[in-house]
Amino acid sequence: MQEERLTSSTGAEKCRRKIRAVTVLLCSLFYCEQSRETLESLKRESETLKKKLEEERNKLNDVELHQVAEKVEVLSALSIKTRRVLKGHGNKVLCMDWCKDKRRMVSSSQDGKVIVWDAFTLNKEHGVPLPCTWVLACAYAPSGCAIACGGLDNKCSVIPLSLDKNENLAAKKKSVAMHTNYVSGCSFTNSDMQLLTSSGDGTCALWDVESGQLLQSFHGHTADVLSLDLAPSETGNTFVSGGCDMKANVWDMRSGQNIQSFESHESDINCVKYYPSGDAFASASDDATCRFYDLRADREVAVYQKDSIIFGASTCDFSLSGRLLFAGYNDYAINVWDVLKGTRATILFGHENRVSRVRVSPDGTALCSASWDSTLRVSWSFSTGSNYIFVLGKQ
Amino acid sequence: MSSKLHPSNNIAHARRTVNQLRIEASIERIKVSKASADLMNYCTEHARNDPLLTGIPASDNPFKEKKPCTIL
Repeated sequence: MQEERLTSSTGAEKCRRKIRAVTVLLCSLFYCEQSRETLESLKRESETLKKKLEEERNKLNDVELHQVAEKVEVLSALSIKTRRVLKGHGNKVLCMDWCKDKRRMVSSSQDGKVIVWDAFTLNKEHGVPLPCTWVLACAYAPSGCAIACGGLDNKCSVIPLSLDKNENLAAKKKSVAMHTNYVSGCSFTNSDMQLLTSSGDGTCALWDVESGQLLQSFHGHTADVLSLDLAPSETGNTFVSGGCDMKANVWDMRSGQNIQSFESHESDINCVKYYPSGDAFASASDDATCRFYDLRADREVAVYQKDSIIFGASTCDFSLSGRLLFAGYNDYAINVWDVLKGTRATILFGHENRVSRVRVSPDGTALCSASWDSTLRVSWSFSTGSNYIFVLGKQ
Repeated sequence: MSSKLHPSNNIAHARRTVNQLRIEASIERIKVSKASADLMNYCTEHARNDPLLTGIPASDNPFKEKKPCTIL
């Protein structure tokens, strides 16, 4: 009797299990059907929005920048000469940054060392050996009292600078930023208190220096972020980043929102830099071009390229007025572009390996270039006799 | 990546893309002619004070090689 009852309950159980299985199968099919539908409609909307974005941008493309710039007088010949060669790094110099005092600078190298220089006297004021090689990023704090550096250690650390040359600065190093891949770029915000970093983990992040707390993270890039630059302080709390996804993104620092995105480069963007007014920015890429994007027109407005330039551009910076764009390339040269007319003004030779970083000094008088040839060079522009007079239009 | 296989993650990603595109499509833009004129005006206004553009006379160069017996 019991056996019979067991058989019938097992049978019922089997039946229930079958019904459950079929129900689960039907539900998942239904769900997949629903998801497919939603995914489809989202993809369609995505395509529609992309088209709309392109149309809106094209509507306003009524003229090219270089056409408008025909009114502007041609640049007189530039005479830019290197007057300082800073030797001391044992290997490739990967990054450098000027101090606000316009004469000190910090540089970092593949040899794991960070050096603070007085470019006036060529004195090495501090040399900090770090436990990790490939220090890809370094920055001077606005106060001039500290530096930040980071790289393959996935961290960005802040080192307070002491007047005492004998003090062991490496011991005072404090980790602030922690990423899950290499740190490619770092910059203090308007104070020594906050640090912005970009990373091979595809994100940028804002950190509180004192506590090491993550204040905001910026997600949107789909590959390594290689560079970032803060907008000039008058123009508000935004910054631009560029990376291996060939995109340049503009971010709101407070909300973490990606407010604008530009995708016209054909390879990795190695460097991004704001135009001095804050209304535009330039980018340097492995596709051998530098490009210029206007933020209010929301589009690319110039491409700086030449058939003879086939090596990637790794770095760029504007002169004080924004008329010149200095760009360092992997063919060891620095091309100087007329930003408005789109032509090359001059080429600077001298480095014996790739140029990894170019930076104009805070008062605009000097250009510093760092290179894989393990040196830094500081150059000035000399007037050729007659004062340069900038005339717009004909009187 | 395993997330690509899961249908709900794909949807979440697609939704984020659509929201991002909505934000970007809705911003106000100005004409390139106006933007270019403003960029040019900025250059003009600041050209005189751009030492790399105008050049500095050799005598003003603070980093010029000094002769050994300079009294500071």
